[in-house]
Amino acid sequence: MTHLVQAIALGLLIGGVYALMASGLTLIFGVMRIINIAQGAFLILVAMLTWWLWHETGIDPILASVVTTPLMFGFGWVAYRLLLSRIRGSSASMSVLLTFGFALVIEGVLNITAGNKFKSATPSYFEESFRVGAISLPKAQVFGFLAAMAVLAALYFVLTRTWTGRAIRAATQNPSGAALVGVGATGTAALAFAIGSATTGVGGSILSVLYPFFPASHYDWISRLLGIVVLGGMGSLPGALVGAGILGLAETLTATYGSLNWSTLVFYIVIMVVLLIRPQGLFGAKLREDTV
Amino acid sequence: MLSLKGVVAGYGGGSVLQGVDLECAPQTITCIVGPNGAGKSTVLRVISGLLKPSSGEISMNGETIGDRSPDEILRKGITQVPQSHALFPAMSVRENVLMGGYLIRKNRALLRERLDMVLERVPIVATRASDNAGNLSGGQRRMVEIARCLMLDPKLILLDEPSLGLDPRSLSGVAGLINELNQAGTTVLLVEQNVRLGLGLATHGVVMEGGKVRLTGTASAVKDDPEIASLYLGGASASSPGGPSSGGPKAEAAGV
Repeated sequence: MTHLVQAIALGLLIGGVYALMASGLTLIFGVMRIINIAQGAFLILVAMLTWWLWHETGIDPILASVVTTPLMFGFGWVAYRLLLSRIRGSSASMSVLLTFGFALVIEGVLNITAGNKFKSATPSYFEESFRVGAISLPKAQVFGFLAAMAVLAALYFVLTRTWTGRAIRAATQNPSGAALVGVGATGTAALAFAIGSATTGVGGSILSVLYPFFPASHYDWISRLLGIVVLGGMGSLPGALVGAGILGLAETLTATYGSLNWSTLVFYIVIMVVLLIRPQGLFGAKLREDTV
Repeated sequence: MLSLKGVVAGYGGGSVLQGVDLECAPQTITCIVGPNGAGKSTVLRVISGLLKPSSGEISMNGETIGDRSPDEILRKGITQVPQSHALFPAMSVRENVLMGGYLIRKNRALLRERLDMVLERVPIVATRASDNAGNLSGGQRRMVEIARCLMLDPKLILLDEPSLGLDPRSLSGVAGLINELNQAGTTVLLVEQNVRLGLGLATHGVVMEGGKVRLTGTASAVKDDPEIASLYLGGASASSPGGPSSGGPKAEAAGV
């Protein structure tokens, strides 16, 4: 029983972090129909930057996101204006090609500048745990989870309670309808891409503590994140949250009761079963107008 | 109020509009009719700035607007309700209407005042406020689309086929709303495939064909014009189904 509770608690902690990482991907897809394959490379870029900041200055890696988040916001904005805006109106597969190329460039630059070695930021609390009754929760994972939840709550607030968020959601759901009420398409898209990239500021900082990484780790991460987003429903934020929770739980439960080697496979089996029953994903929109 | 002179516009392949001249007097309802491909919807897109004219002049109250961006034209008090799918399906009815006031979002008091006005004029916005717009019926959606464009208190409303896909009951609701708005002082320019309905609602009629204006006149004159009757109504005039009317006032032919 203790094993089960421990596995579920850990699964949810990891799931929260996955949710943050997937939120940017699903937001960007929702607004622009861009499948940003470079989202994983953004994460590794931030992780590398965080590791360097921690190594050089001793700043707490998760706190370093105060620096990396605005940096990634600007990075996303510029990347959209210079690169992605050029394929506006093209098919989603075009965006896969472009952002895959972008990911390769980032990987190459990291290989040259940081070297092709595993890195991991290990702050003082790295090996400490909180004990709650019989279960123990690693401090790094608890802090990562809390940071992820704070960012997701802020993101939710921005999307539902501010005009910027309403404009982004409006442009997601109906671009021409948004133009009719005066929402500019290019500005909104650049903003959404910048916000989506900014989530990797916190996501990458957490990654640098929780998972060892090297430049090519982004392949691992993007496949996990795409899995989460497809399971939850492309473009759906609540979907990303639930999809991420399922991945977290699948990993820890399989690792506890089976073997670590099987944990990722179990997640992909879950995806396949869900898509057989609900091709639009768990939270893919189905409204009256879709059925007529 | 609104005036188009020699407007030419198209989508790349060729000109859909080949020199359109059109006038809308204040507080009138003008209805554009004509066969498919005549350029009716394109006229609305050119006025609302979604499509730039390649030549010709568009002016609103004497001010040229042909070279302005869509949101500048919105600010001039011209709003458009397109043929269909203008709403945000996964947002609530209230949020959809609120989005109509996107351009005045910084003035909270005005926004509040306009929302109250819209809630009063279009009751469905209040009764279905928290439902997702995607779950409304076609008629309800059209009402919300019109309600949304009222948030900017427009001087001129452009309606593209308001009757499309509506049953008779929804249709009379939408027609009633258009009449009410017009009586409150709003000028309306609409495009209608349903000639009888459109001209019945309108004060003025415009007949388009092949990217040009063929005829203009009062709605009843256009309705009773024998040529229109034979062109679009299968031989019978719109107001007297028994046969072409001979007594009605003649519509004036517009530079064909």
